[in-house]
Amino acid sequence: MDDKKKKTAEFKVLKNGPLQVSGDFKLLSMGGKVIESGNPIFLCRCGGSKNKPFCDGSHRRVGLRD
Amino acid sequence: MDPNDRSYTNGEITVHWKPSTCIHATTCYKELGRVFNPRHRPWVNMKGAGTDKIIEIIKKCPTDALTYEWNDSSKESEKPQQLSDEALSESVEKMTGKPVEIRIMKNGPYVVEGDFSVTGADGVEKKQMVMTSFCRCGASEDMPFCDGSHRIDNFTSSCD
Repeated sequence: MDDKKKKTAEFKVLKNGPLQVSGDFKLLSMGGKVIESGNPIFLCRCGGSKNKPFCDGSHRRVGLRD
Repeated sequence: MDPNDRSYTNGEITVHWKPSTCIHATTCYKELGRVFNPRHRPWVNMKGAGTDKIIEIIKKCPTDALTYEWNDSSKESEKPQQLSDEALSESVEKMTGKPVEIRIMKNGPYVVEGDFSVTGADGVEKKQMVMTSFCRCGASEDMPFCDGSHRIDNFTSSCD
């Protein structure tokens, strides 16, 4: 039972793509504001998204390779 | 000792840096760029500030990557840095049960703290972690983790 209550998050690296985050987490802006706590979210990992910190599919254009 | 480890001294204290432990949380260079400047070589300039200030910042390092010791061995007792196994498991304990926080670093990585698991790009390898930094610029050679490449790459991104 306690295990279910435990606050934990799961990060999945999607090959050549974004970082999928699910579970209990808070995504904070640089100013410390909570910008997202629902899930799952997909975080940009290639540096090319125009919708940072979220993925917009740019990794295909950028050619991110794991 | 890792061959990549570096030491810097001002005659009074010696600062040790372990790149393999560094998560590039950027605390040191944001707070004391005159001493810790990753764009310079060597990146630690011991003349940039007084010993007390340098120690203050090293104590803020979230990992054991930056440590220091007094050169004067009679001050040995003030060498507080090497975390004992006990202290380490205590700090892991503190992280466990704490909600996971993902902080976005300006022009840098995602820094994650809390109790979380990471599944690699192969979909198989799963690691339990309490602190790490994930690459956000796409240039790391240690994917999915940050290796500091965003600086070489001049990655710019702020998310407010």
